[in-house]
Amino acid sequence: MEEEAEAEEQQRFSYQQRLKAAVHYTVGCLCEEVALDKGMQFSRQTIAAISELTFRQCENFAKDLEMFARHARRTTINTEDVKLLARRSDSLLKYITDKSEEITHINLERKARKKKKSEDGNHNSRELAEAGVVESEQ
Amino acid sequence: MDSPCTRPPCFRKAERPQLCSLLPAPHPLGMAATGVLSKELVSRLLHVHFKDDKTKVSGDALQLMAELLKIFVVEAAVRGVRQAQAEDAILVDVDQLEKVLPQLLLDF
Repeated sequence: MEEEAEAEEQQRFSYQQRLKAAVHYTVGCLCEEVALDKGMQFSRQTIAAISELTFRQCENFAKDLEMFARHARRTTINTEDVKLLARRSDSLLKYITDKSEEITHINLERKARKKKKSEDGNHNSRELAEAGVVESEQ
Repeated sequence: MDSPCTRPPCFRKAERPQLCSLLPAPHPLGMAATGVLSKELVSRLLHVHFKDDKTKVSGDALQLMAELLKIFVVEAAVRGVRQAQAEDAILVDVDQLEKVLPQLLLDF
């Protein structure tokens, strides 16, 4: 039905608008930092332009990432795909590769800590359970 | 006898442009705002454009994409500033941004 299609289109549009607004806010924050650091202000139009640009660039990134993953016969996009995105500039590629290792390292540490905590937790609860059993038997 | 240089005319490896924001500086830029781009926002931004519903993104990839997008924005901003400084402008306006846009898009 045409009305349904129109309503859906409207929903999609307003969702995209909200996303754009979120991007705009983020871009504003980042530009503010740059402005402070370099001592040079940005016009409102410039920030709006960068934010529009970023949103459009996301479309290219998303489509490329999807293609890369499909090319590797995967449905889940992983860090290798992201690194492939950054291939056009040597310094960018190096930065992204380093960041990737940093992220993997941090996440592994976090997992290890969580695992240790849950193991300790199990250990403690087992001790308590055993102590409880001993007590009740007496 | 020394053989003449038979290599093809030297294509000096086209200097890949350095990203301004990543050059070593006293305060590496945008490092403070690492948390500004949430994983959720990045995920939503990407999912809007996926053709296949089944496509997913790993957590690590989302974090890495957040970094990439941050670099993109910061790079655009810094190049804008450089252009404005070169033109002795008082602020970075769309005119300055327009001039840095082509190379920016080629680098990404």
